[in-house]
Amino acid sequence: MEAELGLKKNLYMPRTSVTTESNKTGSWRFLRPRYEEKTSPCSTACPAGEDIARIEMLITQGAFKEAWETILRENPLPGVCGRVCYHPCEGNCNRREFDTSIAVHTMERFLADTAARNETKPVLERLPPKGKGVAIIGSGPAGLAAAWFLNMLGYDSEIFEAMPEAGGLLRWGIPAYRLPAAVLSNEIARIENQGVRIRLSETVSASRFEELKTSYDAVFLGCGYWRNIALNIPGESGSGVEDGLSFLKQLRQGAKPDVRGVSAVIGGGNTAIDVARSIIRLGGRAVIVYRRRREDMPAFDEEIISALEEGVELRELLAPVQIAAQGSDCILTLQQMKVEGRDRDGRGRIAADGTSPVEISVQRVFVATGAAAAETWHEPPPAETAGHHTAPLTPHLPLHLSHCTLHQEQQGTPIIYGGDLTNTSKNVTQAIASGKQAAMALDTFFQSGAGTIRERLSGCLVGEGPSLSMEIYMHGPRKERKTHIVSHQEINTDYFQFEPRVIQPRLLIEERTSSFDEIELKISANTAMREAGRCFNCGICNDCDNCYLFCPDVCILRGRDMTERHIDYDYCKGCGLCVVECPRNAMTLGEEEKL
Amino acid sequence: MQLDALDKELMCSGHVGCPGCGATIAMRFVLKALGEKTVMVLPACCWSVIAGPFPQSSLKIPVIHTAFETGGATASGVRAALDMKGDTETTVITWAGDGGTFDIGFQALSGAVERNEDFIYACYDNEAYMNTGIQRSSSTPYGAWTTTTTGADWKKLRKKNIVEALVAHRIPYAATANIAFPEDLIRKVKKAKAIRGSKFLHIYASCPTGWRIPSEMSIKIARMAVQTNIFPLYEVENGVNYTINYKPKEYLVREYFKLQGRFRHLKDTDLDQIQEMVNEDWGLLLRKAGEHA
Amino acid sequence: MKKVLEGSHAVAEAVRLAKVQVISAYPITPQTHIVEILSDYVTTGKMDAKYLRVESEHSCMAALIGAQSSGVRTFTATSSQGLALMHELLHWASGARLPIVMAEVNRALAPGWNIWNDQTDSLAQRDTGWMQLYCEDGQEVLDTTIQAYRLAEIVNLPAMVVLDAFYLSHTYEPVDVPDQDEVDRFLPTYEPAFILDTKHPYSLSPLVTPNAYMEMRYDIAMAMDDALEQFDRVEDEFAKIFDRRYGAVEAIDCEGADIVFVTSGTVTSTGRLLLEELRPRGEKVGVLKIKLFRPFPVEAVRRALGKAKKVVVIDRNFSFGASGIFAQEVRAAICNVPGHPPVFGYIAGLGGRDITVKLLEEIYFDVKGSSAPRKESIWVGLQEVNRAT
Repeated sequence: MEAELGLKKNLYMPRTSVTTESNKTGSWRFLRPRYEEKTSPCSTACPAGEDIARIEMLITQGAFKEAWETILRENPLPGVCGRVCYHPCEGNCNRREFDTSIAVHTMERFLADTAARNETKPVLERLPPKGKGVAIIGSGPAGLAAAWFLNMLGYDSEIFEAMPEAGGLLRWGIPAYRLPAAVLSNEIARIENQGVRIRLSETVSASRFEELKTSYDAVFLGCGYWRNIALNIPGESGSGVEDGLSFLKQLRQGAKPDVRGVSAVIGGGNTAIDVARSIIRLGGRAVIVYRRRREDMPAFDEEIISALEEGVELRELLAPVQIAAQGSDCILTLQQMKVEGRDRDGRGRIAADGTSPVEISVQRVFVATGAAAAETWHEPPPAETAGHHTAPLTPHLPLHLSHCTLHQEQQGTPIIYGGDLTNTSKNVTQAIASGKQAAMALDTFFQSGAGTIRERLSGCLVGEGPSLSMEIYMHGPRKERKTHIVSHQEINTDYFQFEPRVIQPRLLIEERTSSFDEIELKISANTAMREAGRCFNCGICNDCDNCYLFCPDVCILRGRDMTERHIDYDYCKGCGLCVVECPRNAMTLGEEEKL
Repeated sequence: MQLDALDKELMCSGHVGCPGCGATIAMRFVLKALGEKTVMVLPACCWSVIAGPFPQSSLKIPVIHTAFETGGATASGVRAALDMKGDTETTVITWAGDGGTFDIGFQALSGAVERNEDFIYACYDNEAYMNTGIQRSSSTPYGAWTTTTTGADWKKLRKKNIVEALVAHRIPYAATANIAFPEDLIRKVKKAKAIRGSKFLHIYASCPTGWRIPSEMSIKIARMAVQTNIFPLYEVENGVNYTINYKPKEYLVREYFKLQGRFRHLKDTDLDQIQEMVNEDWGLLLRKAGEHA
Repeated sequence: MKKVLEGSHAVAEAVRLAKVQVISAYPITPQTHIVEILSDYVTTGKMDAKYLRVESEHSCMAALIGAQSSGVRTFTATSSQGLALMHELLHWASGARLPIVMAEVNRALAPGWNIWNDQTDSLAQRDTGWMQLYCEDGQEVLDTTIQAYRLAEIVNLPAMVVLDAFYLSHTYEPVDVPDQDEVDRFLPTYEPAFILDTKHPYSLSPLVTPNAYMEMRYDIAMAMDDALEQFDRVEDEFAKIFDRRYGAVEAIDCEGADIVFVTSGTVTSTGRLLLEELRPRGEKVGVLKIKLFRPFPVEAVRRALGKAKKVVVIDRNFSFGASGIFAQEVRAAICNVPGHPPVFGYIAGLGGRDITVKLLEEIYFDVKGSSAPRKESIWVGLQEVNRAT
């Protein structure tokens, strides 16, 4: 030993021969750091509960396929949502308090477009077949999502669609400049490739519904709201008055209706905006007439802005009183309204302001004030009357969940109502959330009974919910994540520089108003990676290695691929540097366990 | 952050540095940058203890412990011997604290760099005699409490500007570095390694124990020292060419001082005065670098 | 080859012949002639060595510690204040078991400034773990310097070759300068016991706790003991090649002597003259030259002084509050020998004052006339001083 170390004489002298590694300095520790991933605020805001922090991290690393698959675990329609979702994620982004939020929706669309262009096939976990079939009525976002997730959970899911093409409202109710048909078709094709069958042009009547109940183990109703809600004013069924949804459907079917002159569009929702902007593209003028104020409009704000940019006129606080034909024109009588206090939903309460009604002359009127279920049997059993049902009840049913209702009459086939039929907020992403919740609820129902659904689902919340994660439900790695939602204060912003948000390339206004071409253009992979690189990745580890680099005790051990990290508690003194220097709050410092 | 440095660790776990010790972080980075072909001269300092009691060593490079004031001289001898043996590949580095550099070791350091001995002198600066129990050194900053500047007698003299003292020797390379900026630190160490002659690195190394800060704040404080211009990152080649490596935004020194127990007694008026001193020093540095504020 | 050399030059010749690789020095009178010549040798290529022109003696010894730890033979020379400044590092060198060789020219310590001969500077370093070899003439200086390397490298302790300021350092004498190949036969290439080695990265001189410190000190103590035996072997080997030997002590006419003078350095030569003066007059006087002071040759001293009736120690040094330092050592060496002779301590020649034959003769008769020492130390040659000024 001595000779090997070069000591030629047997001197007993101050000269070392071993390392300090026999000193287990972990005994000094009274605080214990640990790796603990947490929940990003964006993901809790996403109705589909997408793992956004991780998705952005994967984009930054150039792992586009993995990022796309990460979306698909929670949302089968990234191409659609990347375009039409109102992206509440961005409104909850911690980066807003630093500079500006991440363009999450742009990233989502980029991933979907990239996967589509490369014809990427996703590799996703699927549970073994359960040997049960579920009939799904309606191929809108709720039906597609229900089918997708049930398929993932091992069910045979079959969609019945009345129209000759699938997509429901996505295909018929959203104009092409927002959602090109090819994008939707691509998404539906992928869903079918995963094993979901779609039976087109098969209208499910009340009697067919009864048949389905007997030939399937469960039925999901996601037929949407297609019946225009009447204004209940004189003249609304007269000539020159059309319903907005039907108008949009005609356009998607290829019609080019004559909209010369001025069209009044009554309503403040997205359909009203879609109608008005479509009129502009067809060469007409559009005036939106809304009985409340602009800030009360349920339409997405970005949509309203775009509409105004394109020349849509908005007239607020005007309630229609009467429509009268005058030759080929319509005289629309409107009552001026005023705001008095607030409604329960926070919007201003309106009332007639006492002035005389005004009249405007237009060439036609579109009514887009909301829709309802087409058939009464589409409606879920009301919560209030469920208790008075005469038939013996299955315990716990009907079960009214946030985004769907599960019911079963007399031990019969379980029925789930979802999508617009049950959702308070009626939009695509909420419909997807509904399909996901229905799939989970149904699976739990079959696995352990109706009484366990609420508890099982409450264990799958993203953060504090209400969004649910299928990855968590399926015991994927995301299940390890803590529900604690990372706040801006918990981000170590020293590791981030101010960087402008990606500027979304768009068509010029002139280009927009003359065609139904998609407005938002593609971005490059480099741009996407740069934008995703702005993401704080709140609560998750992106292998930045700060913990490893700054450890004064060399006790962060890394696996061979330099990603797996462990703390060597034999030596860790619990200084806490790793936790503070973690830019993303993916670590936690806790009390040392009492021995 | 990915460093352009050795993955292998040349510093071992099990050393007896205090939790959150900045000097150990500094050592780890420096060794990663230098690699195994390194001989270290270690005059008395915290690291004399952290390096391990006989028969242990926490460093996987050969180290010669030496008397407090001999960092520059002992390294000169090691270098001379290596040169005589034809070993020009091995880097000789002196690793000294601020006491061993600014104070007791200053003569030997000055002598060695005046002779332009081919070695790196790295001073890890924790701004007081920490190993002996937080006594004031000429590196202790204005305003600081130490166990020999207590109560109303907090240090009312400026910290010695050691880099400028070294620059005055017209050595090939002098630079400041900071444990919160590992990429910059490693780049400078590698640069120093490649240059022949005397190189001086002044490395800011926070001391949770002596500064009365929580151990987990060690890096945060170090970063703030740069962000506030209290410890600017810059390098000087051949005693004349100044490069400022980092130009912070207008952070106030107040935040840095408020976080540290050693400055707890300072009043707002004191902090205002310190801000003026920092501004003055920064202005001076900008002028030397030929830049405008 | 016989040359007429200054004592300083004899040292330099020895260093050249020992193929020293790193020399470090700081100027101090009267050591400067040594290092000036060495500097010239390095510059002109007569030596393949590095010469570090350091900024202090302290740094000088630190540099040698660094160099020797890296596996090369080293040398420095100093004196007086320089040695005192080096003091801390003398401990480092021995504790680190480094066979560094240094020439130390005995000079008085300030204040007042005094550049002349006095042994207190080196003797004050007696507890530093360095071997100390006191020389009498130029030849001995040359031979001892070469021997010192051999001895130091065997026992892994540093060695100090001590020569008197001016009396030896600046005095020209004929010196036989051996050929390089002869020296090479005596002094093999330096093979360090340990070095700073990046392939075997251990640390030297780390923190040592009470668990191990004492054993390490004991190891040095044993090495010092061993050095006493190794000194004789080294002399044997040296004598085989060069036919010269000095002995740890040299007993001159001590057989049958009633009074033995104990001397060191150039005073021994004066002692030899004293014998020439007194022996013919029938005085039973001898001289015991002590060359090896550390390790102290206790047995040899006992043997040499065993039959004497009185021992006189001439100390050109003083330990304030005690006595002459050689006197202390001699007393300590013989005190456990039953019936040992009394030791008469005389302090003479401090700060370069001459110690003449006449002075020694006065001391001899003073001792002869005294049955026991009047005082522990008798200062001789003191002049009247006017304290009022």
